[in-house]
Amino acid sequence: MPPRQPAPRKSKARTTAATDAADAGGRQYASTDDPRIMLDRQVGNLYEPIPPYPPRTEREGEFYTLGDGEMFLNLGPHHPATHGVLRLVLKLSGEQVVDVDPVLGYLHRGVEKICENSDYYHVLDQVDPLEYLSSLFQEWAAVLSFEKLVDVQVPRRAEYIRVLSGELLRIASHTLYMGFLALDLGGLAPILYSFIERDEIVEMLAALTGARMLFNYYRIGGVNGDLNHEFMSRLGDWMSRAAGQTEANATLLNENEIFVRRTRGVGVLDRATALQFGVTGGNLRASGVPFDVRRAHPYSIYPELEFNVPTRDEGDSLARYLIRVDEIRESIKIIDQCLNNMPDGPVMAKLPRLIRPRPGRSWGAVEGPRGMMGVYSISDGSDQPFRFRIHDPSFVNLQTVPALLPGNLLADTMAIVASLDPVLGGIDK
Amino acid sequence: MDLTLKTRLEARLGDYLRGPVYQRRDETEIRIEPDSVPDVLRILRDARDLRFEILADLAGVDTGDVMQVVYHLWSPMTTDWLRIIADGIPRDDPRAPSATFLWTGAEWLEREAYDMFGIVFEGNRDLRRIFMPPDYTSFPLRKDFLLPDDAARSTGAGVRQVELGVRPTGANGDAADDIRRAPAS
Repeated sequence: MPPRQPAPRKSKARTTAATDAADAGGRQYASTDDPRIMLDRQVGNLYEPIPPYPPRTEREGEFYTLGDGEMFLNLGPHHPATHGVLRLVLKLSGEQVVDVDPVLGYLHRGVEKICENSDYYHVLDQVDPLEYLSSLFQEWAAVLSFEKLVDVQVPRRAEYIRVLSGELLRIASHTLYMGFLALDLGGLAPILYSFIERDEIVEMLAALTGARMLFNYYRIGGVNGDLNHEFMSRLGDWMSRAAGQTEANATLLNENEIFVRRTRGVGVLDRATALQFGVTGGNLRASGVPFDVRRAHPYSIYPELEFNVPTRDEGDSLARYLIRVDEIRESIKIIDQCLNNMPDGPVMAKLPRLIRPRPGRSWGAVEGPRGMMGVYSISDGSDQPFRFRIHDPSFVNLQTVPALLPGNLLADTMAIVASLDPVLGGIDK
Repeated sequence: MDLTLKTRLEARLGDYLRGPVYQRRDETEIRIEPDSVPDVLRILRDARDLRFEILADLAGVDTGDVMQVVYHLWSPMTTDWLRIIADGIPRDDPRAPSATFLWTGAEWLEREAYDMFGIVFEGNRDLRRIFMPPDYTSFPLRKDFLLPDDAARSTGAGVRQVELGVRPTGANGDAADDIRRAPAS
């Protein structure tokens, strides 16, 4: 059987209702204002796996040509297991994945362009909704880059508060990851416990920053407000049982035979491939590379803190999960040290209302829950960044999916994609 | 600021460098010709005293006059981030060699730079748009691409000199006109 060519391209210009009816899968409807025709015309084109235009690259043409016994399956864009609005076009042979073409851009908002047209303070508002599960880290990367441009010294108390709130959010993000990974594999209970943990942390941070998800808390030269009583009392309550609760949550999955069997040895990312793809964060450390920006290129007060960088050699989905659990334990240690060593003093450096940094370039990178978050900004001396480049770790991590999926079963697709922990808000920018 | 890195870079890359090695805070910056990108990146990754093994970022930049491709690398041998600026790519026909032969992960980063700036990376096997729709024709992060509304602009004197030019034909304004003119179907 010759390889099937892509379906004939549909012209965008539609003139008559008859063409519409013919386009709607060849089905004949009685009336031209039949709502089903409208539905087919709108939905049929949007969610067809084969794009309605000639292939733009060789790779695209090769992917959208079916071999013997192969079929396409659209996973997403509105699939609950894709962690946002991601479309994976899977090429299947039976139940095995042969190839995959991720289609991005459903959440693209052009944040970089908007940031280049906002002044330096407004940029921090714009970057918040990118990584909506860990927005403090995206702010942190931007703030770090701007502080290098402006040459401002951040007060030590502000640095401690940044690390404290950042590590809290890292725990919230990792806890949610544990729950969602189990949910994508069909286990409902862990996500409920995850949300209990996460809710306590975001409520705590709401007492500190005023918002539950989009904090807008870090400022160029410090943080927005000092620690307050409600935050400290909530934090004290939570810290007294955080370690135990983490162990309980982890036990729920670590000792679950179905979970372990479905993740062990699935989606193995070896050390060389991980480095080639530029993967960072827990996904890289699960492949045996001890790269953690907090240690590899220290910023803030991390050189003064004691914590380990856990690594594992297996590189499979289970290793990526276990790394996150270890990191939660390390984060609890860091929070403990922050609370013990918290210095007194101001939380903001003195800066003018409108910042005009000297012309120059700077790169700031922090270790977010998903990997290295970087910001490259260029100043031309005006009050807006001339170029504001956001490097998102999930974008690079998601790129390994076409390398990890082939050869696996369709059901394992979810275990692999979820174990990479992508957040589409950040990927699509 | 790692001063020994500067001497190591000058020893290894002497002929490729355009301009002095620039160092500020924890960043070291070199400028090269776009044509020498494959050679320089290979030396940086494989030389035993450099070992820049992690491609931290790849970004396109439009300065208004020329295009640049900016690479950020990390190495365990130094405490600095290394920034490589492939400078002087003409704006009317921006082309640069691909880095995918060293880092597979550069593929999507280059697709993004192509999508936003129109920089064609020669050697990238899958250079198509990644965020914008396939029938989109302009390149949004170029400096001659104006936002249609003023709401995103700051209250300060923020409108930059390069953005005051005439809106180019075929840019987003024309597409919006087309949509307005199109009959409701």
